[in-house]
Amino acid sequence: MKHGISELDWNDYLDRCAPQDVCDRIETHLIGCLQCWEFYERVSSATRDLQDAAEEARARITPEDRHLHRMLSGVFARVRAAEPKGDLHPQVKGRLSRLETVLAPFCGPQAAVCALQAAARNSPAASLDQVTLDNWGPFLERLTAIAAAMCGETFAGLVRESGQY
Amino acid sequence: MSSSGAEGYLAEILQVEDKHVIEEFLATRSDEAFCAVFEAACVRVRRYFLLRGLDAATADDMTQNVFVKVYREAGQLREADRFYGWLFAVARNEMISYWRREAVSDKVQLEPLEKSHAANLMTEPEVLPALRIKQLLKALDPPERDLVVLRFVEGLSYEELAVALKLPLGTIKWRIFNARKKLSRIAGPLPAGDARKQINSRKQIN
Repeated sequence: MKHGISELDWNDYLDRCAPQDVCDRIETHLIGCLQCWEFYERVSSATRDLQDAAEEARARITPEDRHLHRMLSGVFARVRAAEPKGDLHPQVKGRLSRLETVLAPFCGPQAAVCALQAAARNSPAASLDQVTLDNWGPFLERLTAIAAAMCGETFAGLVRESGQY
Repeated sequence: MSSSGAEGYLAEILQVEDKHVIEEFLATRSDEAFCAVFEAACVRVRRYFLLRGLDAATADDMTQNVFVKVYREAGQLREADRFYGWLFAVARNEMISYWRREAVSDKVQLEPLEKSHAANLMTEPEVLPALRIKQLLKALDPPERDLVVLRFVEGLSYEELAVALKLPLGTIKWRIFNARKKLSRIAGPLPAGDARKQINSRKQIN
């Protein structure tokens, strides 16, 4: 701390987010202290230089859309390549988890898992770990039918709705 | 993104729609929402790598690695406000791992860019080497370069910087101020009266 102004105060002041009393204290001091005044001028100048340079960097480092598209394809390729067979797609995982959450309070956690497994077994997926976005529709239909048998049509409607997104 | 301390130059890069896109992705984890997040954030991550000295091909490669992690691990994140802090923490870890892998001697060289990568920067010849920010960053230590790029170029708030760099808020501010002081030694002074004008305009605003 120099002349009663801490480095954090200076930094906040330069960012224009210092509390009013700190601003007043610094500005009152600057009027009478040439050393701090010169220091402030130098740091202000550096900050402005930095802001201009940052703006230039943002404006000039801009890859073309097709470059970004290539990179996005690359990301998906890496994700798919790294997925072990049978590993569930994150979206499928999310949907299954949501369905389990909906089912469990009505029929208990174990029965909820059993219902999911039975629906998968009786759908084109054949097992729960083979459920994908492509075979999701038939799986959900089977689960809805099971839910209807267990808890009635209203609850089955809730299950269908929960499994659609 | 918190706007505490953000000035006009930051406002333009703080896009409100970014937050909606991120919230959508965190809620649904769908491929479509991920694409929107990628579109919003990919340029920033890639630019961070380029400004920290990686050549264009490596920056592209590592940006893709970062977004593979985003795709897989965003489930651990609950609040959209913390996304950019978390994203740049992932990016920074990726970069540190890269430097460690690249270090060939006994001594871990944490800043290989100046010599070994200078030639590769020619992949974007007309832009990168000529940027003023590159000259300014040379005056700083590596940890300060991270801070300056993330704060001034990418517009992260101090709170996001604390998440990204896993440092206390006070330390972040102190280091930013030190970086400003260092840069003030290579910057020219303000034209006479400029700082005075800034104070006067601030008083008028208040």
